[in-house]
Amino acid sequence: MQKIASTGTKGGVGKSTFAILLAYKLSKNKKVVLCDCDVECPNDYLILNQRLKKPKKIYQDYPILDKRKCVKCGLCSKTCKENAIFWVKNKYPMFIYDLCTACGACIIVCPNKAIKTKKKKSGESFINKVNNNFWLITGRSKPGITETGPIVSEVKERAIKFAKKKKADYIIFDTAPGTHCSVIQALLDVDKAYAVTEPTPLGAHDLSLILELLRKIRVPSEIILNKADVGNRKLIEKISEKFKTKISVEIPYSEELVKAYCEKDLKRVVKLI
Amino acid sequence: MKIAVTATHRSLDADVDPRFGRCMCFVIVETEGKEIKNHKEISNEAIQATRGAGIQAAQTVANEGAEVVITGNIGPNAFNVLSQTGIKVVTGATGKVKEAVEKYLKGELKETSGPNF
Repeated sequence: MQKIASTGTKGGVGKSTFAILLAYKLSKNKKVVLCDCDVECPNDYLILNQRLKKPKKIYQDYPILDKRKCVKCGLCSKTCKENAIFWVKNKYPMFIYDLCTACGACIIVCPNKAIKTKKKKSGESFINKVNNNFWLITGRSKPGITETGPIVSEVKERAIKFAKKKKADYIIFDTAPGTHCSVIQALLDVDKAYAVTEPTPLGAHDLSLILELLRKIRVPSEIILNKADVGNRKLIEKISEKFKTKISVEIPYSEELVKAYCEKDLKRVVKLI
Repeated sequence: MKIAVTATHRSLDADVDPRFGRCMCFVIVETEGKEIKNHKEISNEAIQATRGAGIQAAQTVANEGAEVVITGNIGPNAFNVLSQTGIKVVTGATGKVKEAVEKYLKGELKETSGPNF
């Protein structure tokens, strides 16, 4: 099973479009699982005309204090990088759950094992069968959760397990835009990442950020240039040379394509490309 | 009584910083009756925090032993931990640090019962 990612730092360049088209095309003669890792705003299901049903809950372990064991040393508060533990000398620490990302560092450092955990729902995942060879796994975080990396890794784990069960040939991860934890989680351990961008100054700048990240986590990459015939192609060529990463697909700008896309007419979109 | 005031620089004559969590520094004023006896300035480490600046700043003033905080505005997280620690919070203060403390001692500045943004 080959693990592929469709990613990019800039929003609206066509990450999801590319991921869906790739999955759709591959599903003609191979088994494909598409995993929507943009858990803060998943929308692959909309374009694929699916409804999200039967959510499977995702939980995270949040800290709670066992006052009988706590000696008020404050080590948990000093360790917390999110400033989510308020502590004043000679008083019990207070957990601020709005800021807590459930990283578990306080639990590890507590010398008296005074911090227990409580499971709280942080998101959910869904499975949709698009056609006989094509499944969609969608991850969605609970509104208000600020750190969605752990939710992405859980969804990813579920998707990989599912893909193995179905003996899928490909699993495609569609990431959120950016280079933050949630994107990194989605990209770790993939065999190949396609960095989607557009020939604009912002598209070029953001492309160099994602290629830098991919180089750091040692994921082989290729560039997908969307709206290739508008804007300034040279900007992207420069970065392609700098990172020794080839531009493997160019998608021209077309109003027809946008129309077909908005009408959720995948067959027409595929034809137009 | 110890009063922590958010300030734009390290002086009794500095302006009150309207921000709590990301204020430039704190002036800790010691009062006796209605008079200022002593004061010292401390830096606010929380100004650099990526998240939870209010919590970290609240921790700083609480560990200084302040009983009252005078500032411009305060958010919900900082307000909640301060009030749970028994520290009174005064918002809407403007002008110089010294004047704000004097106004509070005269009863012209009132304690707030909740965060103001």
